[in-house]
Amino acid sequence: MRRGERRALACASTLVAALTPQLAHAHLVSTGLGPVYDGILHFALTPEFVLPVLAIAMLTGLRGRAHVRLALVALPLAWLAAGIVADATAIAVPDALAWLPLLVAGGLVTLDLRLSPRATTVIATLLGIALGSSNGAALAQAGAGVRGVLGSTAAVFVIVTLGAATVTAWQTGWLRIAWRAAGSWIAAGGLLLLGWTLR
Amino acid sequence: MSRFGRFAVHALLAVAAALLSPAALAHDSRPAYLQLTETTPGRYDVVWRTPLMSGMRLPVVVRFPEGTRNVSGPAERDFADSIVERRVVQVDGGLEGKRVEFVGLEATITDVLVRVQLRTGETSTTLVRSSKPWVEVTASPGRFSVFTAYLQHGIEHILLGVDHLLFVLGLMLIVRTPWMLLKAITAFTVAHSITLAVATLGYGHVPEAPMNAAIALSILFLGPEIVRAWRGETSFTIRNPWVVAFAFGLLHGFGFASGLTALGLPQGDIPLALFAFNVGVEIGQLAFVALILLMVRAFRILEMRGPRAVQLAPAYVVGVLGAFWTIQRVTMMIQGG
Amino acid sequence: MFAQRADRDRVGCGAQRRRRVGYRRATRLIVAALLVTAAAPVLAHVEAGQATGFFTGFAHPFSGLDHILAMVAVGLWGAQLGAPAIWLLPLTFPLVMAFGGFLGLIGVGLPGVEIGIAASAALLGAAVMTERRISLYAAAALVAFFAIFHGHAHGTELPPGQSGLLYSLGFVVATGCLHAIGIAAGAAHRWPSGKVALRIAGGGVSLGGLYFLWGALA
Repeated sequence: MRRGERRALACASTLVAALTPQLAHAHLVSTGLGPVYDGILHFALTPEFVLPVLAIAMLTGLRGRAHVRLALVALPLAWLAAGIVADATAIAVPDALAWLPLLVAGGLVTLDLRLSPRATTVIATLLGIALGSSNGAALAQAGAGVRGVLGSTAAVFVIVTLGAATVTAWQTGWLRIAWRAAGSWIAAGGLLLLGWTLR
Repeated sequence: MSRFGRFAVHALLAVAAALLSPAALAHDSRPAYLQLTETTPGRYDVVWRTPLMSGMRLPVVVRFPEGTRNVSGPAERDFADSIVERRVVQVDGGLEGKRVEFVGLEATITDVLVRVQLRTGETSTTLVRSSKPWVEVTASPGRFSVFTAYLQHGIEHILLGVDHLLFVLGLMLIVRTPWMLLKAITAFTVAHSITLAVATLGYGHVPEAPMNAAIALSILFLGPEIVRAWRGETSFTIRNPWVVAFAFGLLHGFGFASGLTALGLPQGDIPLALFAFNVGVEIGQLAFVALILLMVRAFRILEMRGPRAVQLAPAYVVGVLGAFWTIQRVTMMIQGG
Repeated sequence: MFAQRADRDRVGCGAQRRRRVGYRRATRLIVAALLVTAAAPVLAHVEAGQATGFFTGFAHPFSGLDHILAMVAVGLWGAQLGAPAIWLLPLTFPLVMAFGGFLGLIGVGLPGVEIGIAASAALLGAAVMTERRISLYAAAALVAFFAIFHGHAHGTELPPGQSGLLYSLGFVVATGCLHAIGIAAGAAHRWPSGKVALRIAGGGVSLGGLYFLWGALA
């Protein structure tokens, strides 16, 4: 079956599901996990997405709770909005730029600069837009659509919450260095990914 | 990533998504079911049941390996929610070591449960997913595969059973100490295990429509109790959440059972399948509880307090969705007769 | 010789002067290393090194070992130098190494990669053996210089067709773990007998590096 047909079918089944009165659905047994779970899984299994998001969690976690709280609103919202736009318009940040968020977010964690809450929020928003956009495009292609974007947004929220809380709780002395080393690894991965892209 | 690794990821991440995006709950896909029973060497009785999705047929065709011809059939019968096709096929050299394919499955989000019974009496049950739309028939004894297939079903059932998870969330919002939480969750588990077994083994039956409405009601019931608990007031539920958990757990068990019987059970392995399914449900449920506990702890570390409206949001989500489902399901019950 | 100079350093001067001396010394080391590597344009192609002779062929299975030795030496040296070198070196290394890998990936040639790696093991081992104290920036620059070689080797050794990011992360993290092993072992620096043991280990690393250097040059 060709992609076009598959997409048409996926669209049709989504439409059917959307038009069907959602009565017993919440309870009916389902073994296919559906677009929400597809979105979550796609995010969780794509290191190009997970690593920068983790880096944001580390960046804000190292800076302080106020930074985390702002980023927890800004990042998922930007992710969601960019994802919906990408899903609807097919306009998205190209995959060839996947190295950039890794390098920027990882590098900032490594440097451990004294950024203001406003600065970290802006960074989180920009990265959210960039990542959410390519995520949304990928999900649209897989036929998961807006529901997939919703699922991945929830996953982003959870990852940032848990990650930032972990960093907040454990960041004295050596642990701070360990987070920064992890950030440098992510940035190094980004730099090498750029090499791979140009190769 | 291993299958279980994937499920762990599903379990942890999914649940949060389910909570945060109630709009996305409408997904539904019941599995198709293929049963192959070898009667004489190389000859198989075939039962192929496909679910109807709002009256639409599942666009999947079973393709047997080369050298297969129909001896009789196919004969089709339409049911309210599915189509059952029966036929008898003769396969040169038997099906062992060969592939049965499901053409078109890769374009759906449906799974197929395949049960093969060979002449030796060996049975095997396999869950075929759209990512790998075929099954290889083997002569290996199938107890382990039955176990894993139904374990998966159990996990998926609880992950997609947002109403069950919402009830668990409601309980978690009411209890105040870890000990109370442990008691409530254990009571819920024991209760739904009892009724799941009772209903699956055929000792009891509850009509589906009223049961679904009652399950919705159990969630609605928790909404006001959560608000009460957060205001510092008290009630029987707040003092003894485990009693409520047990009572409603009996109800939810019937819900699980209807899910399990809708899947179809391997005739020889009903107790094993039942056990595996229940274990799967517990795994999913505990993963959910663990995720919520982690998130609560994280919020505490991050000192996320937020305005009162945000604080009460979970209570209102539980209450509003409970009310919505109750109305919906009661309407359906009345309409459906 | 190194030890003598180090002593003179410690006796003679204030922090500023020490730093200046450190710079000079690091520059000298880098120049020396450059000379050594430039002397062997024959080995420019890493893979072809396999066929150049018995020694290179023999050394090839150990081509990981020189890397390992150098990484552990970075950790040990960092531990001897104490904060902030102990964490600055492991933070710098992956990034600069990735830069080297990046150069390798986009096809920028780097002469004498194997020699650079072997020389790094030899020199870093010697630094550990002599407990050489040079300024932080000089140490970072030295380690970074060698990191480019390590990264470049990885860049050219990467198998095509796999997930570039995961593969890259794999070796970056592995390198980080080697540093961590070195740093953990470097904790022995606290005790007098541990200090001696570290210097002996440094000597071993240095000898290993010299051996590979010989293998690469022959």
